[in-house]
Amino acid sequence: MEQKLMIIEDEPLIRNELRTLLASNGYEVSAPEDLTGIVEQVKAEEPHLILLDIKLPHDSGFSVCAQIRVFSNAPIIFVTSCSTDMDELNSIMLGGDAFITKPYNTAILLARIASLLKRAYPAHGSEQLKYGGAVLHLDSGMIAYGEQKAELTKNELKILYYLFKNAGKICSRGDIVEFLWDNQLYVDDNALSVNINRIREKLAGIGLENFIKTRHRQGYTL
Amino acid sequence: MNGKLYWKNKLPFILTNLFCMILMTLFLLACGNAVAVVEMILIVWVLILMAGMGIAYRNRKKELQKLLTMAEGLQERYLIQEVMRLPERADDQVYYQLMKMAGKSMLEQIGEVRRERLEYKEYIEQWIHEIKTPIAAMKLLCENHRMDFTRELLLELEKTNRFTEQALYYARSEHTEKDYAVREINLIDVVHQVIADNKYLLLHNKVSLEVAERMETVYSDEKWLRFILNQLVANAVQYRTEQPVLRFFAYQRQDQVILSVEDNGIGIPACDLPRIFEKGFTGQNGRIMQQATGIGLYLCRRLCDKLGVGIMAESSGEGTVIRLSFHINCLICEVQE
Repeated sequence: MEQKLMIIEDEPLIRNELRTLLASNGYEVSAPEDLTGIVEQVKAEEPHLILLDIKLPHDSGFSVCAQIRVFSNAPIIFVTSCSTDMDELNSIMLGGDAFITKPYNTAILLARIASLLKRAYPAHGSEQLKYGGAVLHLDSGMIAYGEQKAELTKNELKILYYLFKNAGKICSRGDIVEFLWDNQLYVDDNALSVNINRIREKLAGIGLENFIKTRHRQGYTL
Repeated sequence: MNGKLYWKNKLPFILTNLFCMILMTLFLLACGNAVAVVEMILIVWVLILMAGMGIAYRNRKKELQKLLTMAEGLQERYLIQEVMRLPERADDQVYYQLMKMAGKSMLEQIGEVRRERLEYKEYIEQWIHEIKTPIAAMKLLCENHRMDFTRELLLELEKTNRFTEQALYYARSEHTEKDYAVREINLIDVVHQVIADNKYLLLHNKVSLEVAERMETVYSDEKWLRFILNQLVANAVQYRTEQPVLRFFAYQRQDQVILSVEDNGIGIPACDLPRIFEKGFTGQNGRIMQQATGIGLYLCRRLCDKLGVGIMAESSGEGTVIRLSFHINCLICEVQE
């Protein structure tokens, strides 16, 4: 089931770009342009998580948050450019779950959203990704092909995760390195080659030959 | 009080007395008084005059000395006229009045300047908050449309953000109010955040990172700490060598947690080392690089002082180690246990 996020933000460009960002990360996004009667809209749409700006034209984000809390327990993330401690305290007191200041780091924002969603709506069963007969088990850090399995290190798991998520597309080395950095694995270009080679060896060991293809000067693809 | 000048000021009075003495002597002699009687009268006159003037001098000197000591003991010396008693002498009272007038107009001036500064600070803070919205919008735009040039743009945006943060904390550090909140924070979270803040800078300059798996928790303000570490990272990249390496690790020593940020950059010459936290000091490296402002480390030191965090720099020709030392509050630990 796709989880629905709601963006309450008055700045059109930020609203649209946030929508694009979240939509491309697999969320269903609603971002109302008209913010009058926003509380009613929240009630009608029942989003799983709300991104709320503090500075809104009609009402402050704090009062919107308080009004939403009356009927909903959906996690609320405050996104704002005001970074005083008073604001942060206010946001926590009124039932906000997280507080992110502009210019937000998208990686941190996405991680925060994912962890809040996970906490509020615990998923059942273990997560796994499939492609071409291979199954990537995220919880146990294993890749399986048929009956055979191989254990992966943290770096290898994340690299494969990125390739599986973008299966069919070409993933440039730069994008993979950035993704790893966003996941707090500080791998440089050389180490990436080493990791890719090791993954290929492991894949060959379980019978997956030429699973990761190299596109010269462009990157890797599944 | 200048004694010589005092007596010089008294000269007209003494001369008047002398003139009176001569007149009286002439008068008494003309009336047919004996010389001995006149001498007697003159001696008594002079003695009384000297005693009177001597005592007056001593009293005056004592009184004025008291005022001087009082003024020196005051923390705000310009308030002396508010503290001192109203003088008894008529001419002194005029000076007293003048002092009061001068003091009042100065206080008004200071008040005006303070208000202006506060307004300016508020304006700067507000401006910085406003500029963050377009920065955030640009960042999102770049991240949603990844191309080679957006990476370069993101690098520049990181820089823009760092400079605006610097201005914000500069405006804040000038004021005495404590706008920070001390909370329990894990150093590793802050370090990861700082790396994320400087992702494009570090990637662009091919900095290899070594971050310890685990770090201690401390009690401090996360935002301030992040700002300080951002400055340190920016410095490490600015003064890098061919294959830059940046290490973060933390350890406990006695009652302190030390966060160490190490680089293998060009280091700091020993003669510059004691002065790097001074405002406006750029040193030899700064002169070579041209881009140094002498503000970054100065701000780090100021914020550290306010947070009660120790900051030390060490450099032995090659590479620099900056250590932040956090005091472990035994009380908090005991309460938690």
